[in-house]
Amino acid sequence: MTVDDPTVTRPATAPAGDPPSSSDAAPPPGAHRGLQFLSRYGVIVAFALIIVIFSIARPETFPTTENLQAILANAAAAMIIATGLTVLLVIGDFDLSFGSMISLAGGAAVILMANHGVAWPVALLVGILLGVAGGAVNGLLTAYFGGSSFIITLAMGTVLTGVEFAITDQKTIFEGVDPSFASIAQNEFLGLSNMFWIAAAIAAILWLFLDKTEAGRYMYAIGGNPEAARLAGIRTKFLRLVAFVIVAVTAAIVGLLLSSNSGSYSPSFGASFLLPAFAAAFLGSAMLRPGQFNIPGTVIGVLFLGVIQTGLTMLNLQTFVINLVQGAILIAAVLLSRLGERTT
Amino acid sequence: MTGGEQVLQVRGVSKRYPGVLALDGVDLDLRAGEVLGLLGKNGAGKSTLIKILAGAVQPNEGEIRLDGEPVSIGSPQQATDLGIAVVHQELADVPNLSVAENIELGLGYPRRLGVFVDQRGLRRKTLAILERLGVKASPATLVEDLSVAERRMVMIARGLAANARILVLDEPTASLSDEEIDHLHDTVASLAADGVAIVYVTHRLAEVFKITDRITVMLGGRTVFDSPTSAVSSRELIDQITGGLGEAGITEERQAPVVDPGAEEILRVEALSRDGYVENASLSLRSGEILGIAGLVGAGRTELVRLVFGADRATSGRVFMRGREIRLRSPRDGMKAGIALLPEDRRNQGNVQAFSIRQNITLPGLKRFRGVGPLPMPSTSQERAAARDLVERLQIKIASEEDSVSTLSGGNQQKVVLAKWLDSGSDVFIFDEPTHGIDVGGKEEVYRRMRELAASGKGVIFISSEFSELIGICNRIVVMREGRLVAELDGEGVDEGALVEACYAH
Repeated sequence: MTVDDPTVTRPATAPAGDPPSSSDAAPPPGAHRGLQFLSRYGVIVAFALIIVIFSIARPETFPTTENLQAILANAAAAMIIATGLTVLLVIGDFDLSFGSMISLAGGAAVILMANHGVAWPVALLVGILLGVAGGAVNGLLTAYFGGSSFIITLAMGTVLTGVEFAITDQKTIFEGVDPSFASIAQNEFLGLSNMFWIAAAIAAILWLFLDKTEAGRYMYAIGGNPEAARLAGIRTKFLRLVAFVIVAVTAAIVGLLLSSNSGSYSPSFGASFLLPAFAAAFLGSAMLRPGQFNIPGTVIGVLFLGVIQTGLTMLNLQTFVINLVQGAILIAAVLLSRLGERTT
Repeated sequence: MTGGEQVLQVRGVSKRYPGVLALDGVDLDLRAGEVLGLLGKNGAGKSTLIKILAGAVQPNEGEIRLDGEPVSIGSPQQATDLGIAVVHQELADVPNLSVAENIELGLGYPRRLGVFVDQRGLRRKTLAILERLGVKASPATLVEDLSVAERRMVMIARGLAANARILVLDEPTASLSDEEIDHLHDTVASLAADGVAIVYVTHRLAEVFKITDRITVMLGGRTVFDSPTSAVSSRELIDQITGGLGEAGITEERQAPVVDPGAEEILRVEALSRDGYVENASLSLRSGEILGIAGLVGAGRTELVRLVFGADRATSGRVFMRGREIRLRSPRDGMKAGIALLPEDRRNQGNVQAFSIRQNITLPGLKRFRGVGPLPMPSTSQERAAARDLVERLQIKIASEEDSVSTLSGGNQQKVVLAKWLDSGSDVFIFDEPTHGIDVGGKEEVYRRMRELAASGKGVIFISSEFSELIGICNRIVVMREGRLVAELDGEGVDEGALVEACYAH
């Protein structure tokens, strides 16, 4: 799929026992190869299968151009934050504060325009800078001061929400958003919303970054073996900080785009993105390069989740059924990739 | 004290690992109430024998008899049931549990109402054992708050709590102070007086003569010597440990490079220390020189070179490259100053196992493979060409440079680590146990690379636990013991006997 595939199908934690000689490393026969295929492409096969099922069940509404446009537009925000999160997961860290960052960046921009008459480009810039600052704080506290990313980012999420409420007074804002700002996300290009194109551009940039640049290679190395990476002269702390900043900036972009799209702000609107972003990234790690987080996988993961959501809604299922089915599909997908990993 | 009954007999036990015969028909006898000193160089097979007694490893051949009855020790639990307790050098305790909880761990805590741990009963039960061992710490203290000496005592207490009749102590005095050592020796003597049979593994000859009743020496996976302690001299013991090479030496194999006395000093280390690991180490390395660092495992050799490379921070001391002082805050600093470190643990520190061979080889010098002008984007084709070239030069046996490095054997992984640094332009190459676990042919190649590097004017530091290879290729050898550089040998002074003495003397 990529020319330069920085990963292998073997689990990173190869047993320390006797390694097979390189001549044993030839492609495994029959059953083995089947499992390997399943672990790489199982999720994609399931994805295709589900599209076929939905198309048969709802032939007049599901396989339509309008539905495709809607799915892509809806998936855009999740795609931006999920691809940003993928960078951090590659390096072996994670972030629980980006939901709050989404709300804070969007809230700050809307407040600045609506209540303080600030020009929209400035509001936009402030939103992005909040992302840079928040990510840098996360990175400093974890990479440089050794805090556990679990508790630090959990606490930072609370802090960011506190700041958000302080500046927005926890009030929903419907008016005063500059129409030019609103048009950023609302306009369309080639029949698809700008949000989708922005998401596609960010995914492409992050894919190039992770797969084609030195920094990306270093990040994969740190995720694979932090000590070996450090002994190879890689600036592991700095790159961890960069990864935290990337997540937070993508979160800020999502916050700004969602505010632009709706022309409004409501408190804590970003919280709902936490789980889908992780789910998409983990689904992505269960395909193409099993066991490795990767941008193409995450993009497919986001679309997979979007299709399931839309399709199940179209089937007029009750919410609890949708929840059950979504959860079951996620678990099945991840187990599928583990299956492949164990046999390679 | 040697008149006790035979409790343990090991007969013809062998253990084969892929490519290595760790034990080759070893014999061992142990009587009740005796302290048996088990000696041997690194790699002589002591650890494997201990692991077999602990039930952690199964022998391929041979017989173990307990009280004359053949037994099989299939698991650590079975070893405990049979009355064998092993205190490993690496403490296997649970730091966040109390002393009492550690002692009775896995033996079944006393309970209340069938569910809750009866803490008071538990402490009372362990108090007696602690008193017997002369440990002053309260049973309620958390183990993480104890000193290393006390923690070792807790592990011994655990053996006693399980009614062990055979106690194996692996280097119990490592990193203990003199008083702590005395206390431990007293404890060992009193346990033996109570009839416990003790296997005491150590590298320190002084304590062998002080506390053991009998001595067994292992070499190359076999028992080569067995004698009452009173009947053997220190000189004789060193000969047995080294296999009689102490006197003769093997200088005829020496192929050390000849260094021009006027050659430039590349690296100078002045009074480098890291609290608890390295103390006041100074050395100097000249262009074209191969400097060996000898010493036993845990003597601080790896710790010293990690300081020189910047992998750990020194608490004091200075490092100079070509006369200029360098600041070492990270491996990156060491690398920039022209130092390359090839770590001992190649699986965990040398290579990224999830990466391909090519990606590992190009990792430290990735910047040299930029494809599009100055853009920081590596060109796969350039990387591949460089990787192929190095694979060929180092004769790494692989199908493709795109294979995962995790598919390679230890020796080939070591060569990948070397390939990473060979073209880095570094001036000083530090090899930490580069031949550990690799076959003879592989070793010869590593030696050849070191000689080539030295011949091209680089400085090479070579850490090894095999005295013969140090003698074979180093101009000069320094010896580390307990964190200090204690001896320096060169020219005529280099022979195995001198090295052994410097490493073991106390």
